[in-house]
Amino acid sequence: MKDRVFGVLQRIGRSFMLPIALLPVAGLLLGIGGSFTNETMLSTYGLINIMGPGTWFYSILLVLRDAGQIVFDNLPILFAMGVAIGMAKKEKEVAALAAAISFFVMHEAISAMIQINGGTENLLAGAFGDVVGITSLQMGVFGGIIVGLGVAALHNRFYRIELLQVLSFFGGTRFVPIVCALTYTVVGILLYFIWPPVQNVITAVGNVVLNSGYVGTWLYGFMERALIPFGLHHVFYIPFWQTAVGGTMEVAGNLVEGAQNIFFAQLADPSVEQFAVSATRFMAGKFPLMIFGLPGAALAMYRTADSDKKGKVFGLLLSAALTSMITGITEPLEFTFLFVAPLLYVIHCVLAGTAYMLMHIFNVGVGMTFSGGLIDLFLFGILQGNAKTNWIWVVIVGAGYFIVYYFLFSFLIRKWNLKTPGRGETEEIKLYNRADVEEQKHSSERKGNNITTEDIISINLCNGLGGKKNISDVDCCATRLRCTVHDAARIQDDLLKSTGASGVIHKGNGVQIVFGPKVTVIKSNLEDYLEKAPDKYFERNSDSSFMTVEETESFTNPDGRCVIASPVSGIASGIENTPDQAFAGKLMGDGMVIYPSGSSILAPFDGTVEMVFDTRHAIGLRSEQGIELLIHVGIDTVKFGGRGFEALVSDGEKIRKGQTLLLFDRNHIRANAVSDATPVIVTNMQEHWKIKMLKTGNVKELEDLFEVETENIKSS
Amino acid sequence: MKKFTYTITDPVGIHARPAGMLVNAAKSCGAKVTVSCNGKTADASKLMALMGLGIKNGMEVEVMVEGENEDKAFIEIKDFFQNNL
Repeated sequence: MKDRVFGVLQRIGRSFMLPIALLPVAGLLLGIGGSFTNETMLSTYGLINIMGPGTWFYSILLVLRDAGQIVFDNLPILFAMGVAIGMAKKEKEVAALAAAISFFVMHEAISAMIQINGGTENLLAGAFGDVVGITSLQMGVFGGIIVGLGVAALHNRFYRIELLQVLSFFGGTRFVPIVCALTYTVVGILLYFIWPPVQNVITAVGNVVLNSGYVGTWLYGFMERALIPFGLHHVFYIPFWQTAVGGTMEVAGNLVEGAQNIFFAQLADPSVEQFAVSATRFMAGKFPLMIFGLPGAALAMYRTADSDKKGKVFGLLLSAALTSMITGITEPLEFTFLFVAPLLYVIHCVLAGTAYMLMHIFNVGVGMTFSGGLIDLFLFGILQGNAKTNWIWVVIVGAGYFIVYYFLFSFLIRKWNLKTPGRGETEEIKLYNRADVEEQKHSSERKGNNITTEDIISINLCNGLGGKKNISDVDCCATRLRCTVHDAARIQDDLLKSTGASGVIHKGNGVQIVFGPKVTVIKSNLEDYLEKAPDKYFERNSDSSFMTVEETESFTNPDGRCVIASPVSGIASGIENTPDQAFAGKLMGDGMVIYPSGSSILAPFDGTVEMVFDTRHAIGLRSEQGIELLIHVGIDTVKFGGRGFEALVSDGEKIRKGQTLLLFDRNHIRANAVSDATPVIVTNMQEHWKIKMLKTGNVKELEDLFEVETENIKSS
Repeated sequence: MKKFTYTITDPVGIHARPAGMLVNAAKSCGAKVTVSCNGKTADASKLMALMGLGIKNGMEVEVMVEGENEDKAFIEIKDFFQNNL
């Protein structure tokens, strides 16, 4: 459970990256545009005649500024879509569309609720605002994240849904925007009631942080750094940057919430004389740390490396240090000592908190778009002038940080003999990245992968189209899978038809495989499969034709319940009451036994016939979910050599529940066999599966007999 | 990998009960056991697959044992065939 929460949080954090990656560019536009349209700045540098108001240069910059500003203004919907894309497992574009729709629907629902309840006059100032042109409650990026997470959850649940034949056009991915729009209408109505109290709580939390002064700033900085190894830092700092937790302020007549938003609103407002430190305290600490401190650590690691390995480490550490300095992306460096010396990382966190605190103390008002590298320092510090930002303190504190990092790291690496890059006998010199950590996790997950029925369809489709290398593209319309191949001669019609397709149509290099409305689901599965399939042509072997359902032993059952109906009427009992040691001892599997009163065996579920014994006294079946069932009529009846039995189905045949499979002569069995006991057993029982008897004593044919409890396999 | 061939002497061949016993033997021997007959091959730990081979009295089967404990498993499985099938 803990792992799951953690995993989800980590994915949320990562999904923030898509919208966040846009910020540096938007910030660049806003930074350049905002700075050079600021009349105070222009007159300071004597530029008012060249590029003051009215000049074409000024107009261009104004456009740049607004182009950047619109991104910051619409972050909530960008987060809604970005999070939905990040959290959706497959068919991400559908999730994005659904998120945009849901975002509109939710805010419009809120807006309607506000209208119904007497308009905005009844709300607190600052509680509402303009969201994508709708007068709605101010929810900041929280509103976007609520939409993104909810849509992704709905999407992952429903994107493969199969609806009734009549409605099947609306199935699969098409169902996702529909269900999301409906859900978020309701969510919007609920939020109208829920959000105002939440707003109060957020403001209260924000006030605590804001009023905790320097200690609060230190704690913020410490936490933000400490969460980086887990990839959870975005979850932590985004509320400060983007919501009322990080404070609210009136800028140029608008109420702005969130530290970063306040900074950029001030940046765009020419009348601001000094940037609010109450906002930049959540940002400025990164500058001395990333431009000065971490490069100091890199130098320390270089100087402490073994002399013969210095050459190799040099390029590595230099590029990591430069990345940190220029862009403020610190992971390459931090991960390098995080794994080999976690204690150094703890010290690094403490120093990080202190950097934030010092910037707060010295009133440094430099904001940032994304991280604290030279680019941001230049745009939002140096370019804005020391009077507005006090950026000079970044350099002063930074110089100290460089020295502290260098000497502290050098000393500790030598004292504890830490195996930083280029030290000791380690063969490989490398920088670690998050992918290394993830890789280990995934490789263990992959081992557990089993082949499912869906996979077999995909495999046969892929091979039938001549292998992945032969497939140019895959698409679908309402009922058909439309594929283009490179070489039509490689297509294997029989394989394509074996997937349950009702027809295959060729046209040059185009192939259409007709499935009916469930085709969207099949297409998703095929695309999943193609991602991991080997990129080669399919070559047919002479004998081992193709994969069919029988060759797989895996099990898929998304919903947990596997009920086996009684194949015959009679008296049912636990398998241990079979008058045969092998069956009673569950040697062949677990299940129940029936003393039949009928004389025909009916299919207990939809599935396939795995095999009919040539002596026809027993039959092996496989359910659609993957349960293998053996129905063995009578004990030692193999000796009859088929006499008294008639089979109505043959190997590989598809069966529907209730279909007659076998007929038997009950009197012949009673007269000649040890017993007419008919064990019905699951032969592919897995360790954690359990048989739950649903009916004992008198049982009618097709009445629920027992259930295979497979639930636990999902969590294991 | 080690293999041996064996001619089935059990009058009813590898049907439900003998198959069940073979599955248990294959599962407990600690190696992967596969049985081939008539050009078809089955994993001996899968009852349904094994029974699907339709092995009858007098047929010759090829048994392959593969895995970490294959020497020990080989002896166990061979004994099992000789004693039971």
